Amino acid sequence: MSEPQSALLLRKQLAELNKNPVEGFSAGLIDDNDIYRWEVLIIGPPDTLYEGGFFKCHLYFPKEYPLRPPKMKFVTEIWHPNIDKNGDVCISILHEPGDDKFGYEKASERWLPVHTVETILISVISMLADPNDESPANVDAAKEWREAYTEFKRKVARCVRKSQEQEEC
Amino acid sequence: MGNCFKRSTTDDISLLRGTDSVRETSSDPVGPPSYQEALSVQSTPPLYHPSPSVTRSVTQLTEEEQIKIAKRIGLIQHLPTGKYDGCKKIRECVICMGEFMVGDALRYLPCMHTYHVTCIDDWLMRSLTCPSCMEPVDAALLTSYETN
Ligand SMILES: [Zn+2]
Ligand SMILES: [Zn+2]
Repeated sequence: MSEPQSALLLRKQLAELNKNPVEGFSAGLIDDNDIYRWEVLIIGPPDTLYEGGFFKCHLYFPKEYPLRPPKMKFVTEIWHPNIDKNGDVCISILHEPGDDKFGYEKASERWLPVHTVETILISVISMLADPNDESPANVDAAKEWREAYTEFKRKVARCVRKSQEQEEC
Repeated sequence: MGNCFKRSTTDDISLLRGTDSVRETSSDPVGPPSYQEALSVQSTPPLYHPSPSVTRSVTQLTEEEQIKIAKRIGLIQHLPTGKYDGCKKIRECVICMGEFMVGDALRYLPCMHTYHVTCIDDWLMRSLTCPSCMEPVDAALLTSYETN
């Protein structure tokens, strides 16, 4: 029964989240036998365009976690500048730190081995409330967010509605 | 010797930690990291990370990368280590989320943050920054060299 440290760490986090759930999301595994693949349901944060929505996401952890970050993907359709059209989330804390020599000032925004499912989800939820249009993953959504906000709102509202229907069935 | 995960109790935490950590390869956990040994012996080629997202075995490294890694190992070796003595001020290693057990091999960074040697060394080999406060470890060390 020699499990890698990454599996133990993830198991510990899962147990902790089951015991003390965090507001804004619920977390579990896609397949109970695979601790490296998580399914998370994000509740659209109040007072944002995503309020009322239920967004299912998957997190894929590498065996080298926590030295390397997981990948995160929205399974539920979502319209957001920092989530590409395939659902892949693009935020700086999920990027590995760059070369040491040049990356000091940005190190705080990059991946660190102290990040947990909880801190990742908190960042993603705050990203929903507050998009970063400097490095958009969905260029069209970013453009709309800046220049055609009414159209942006309409698309988000459609995703929220769809996500509610999916949750019901 | 060589096992910082002492199983003196059978509470939840020691059970969660299970048996030996997979990275527990050093014969002397408080001494220099095993990387250097590995670099010179090369019996089972270890993996190196010239950049955090790049993984290579020693034979695939360019000369420049070898120098960089050797320098990095040198820097890491200059960071003080010790054994956890049960001091209440520090309790947990935030990388593995495990509580320190008396006798665990610890490494102290210049910013005063403390981790298991095995946990932090793997990270420092990828990025020379403290995971808690993001302070660059080598810059702090270089200033201390200069003032000495
Ligand atoms: Zn640790
Ligand atoms: Zn620190």
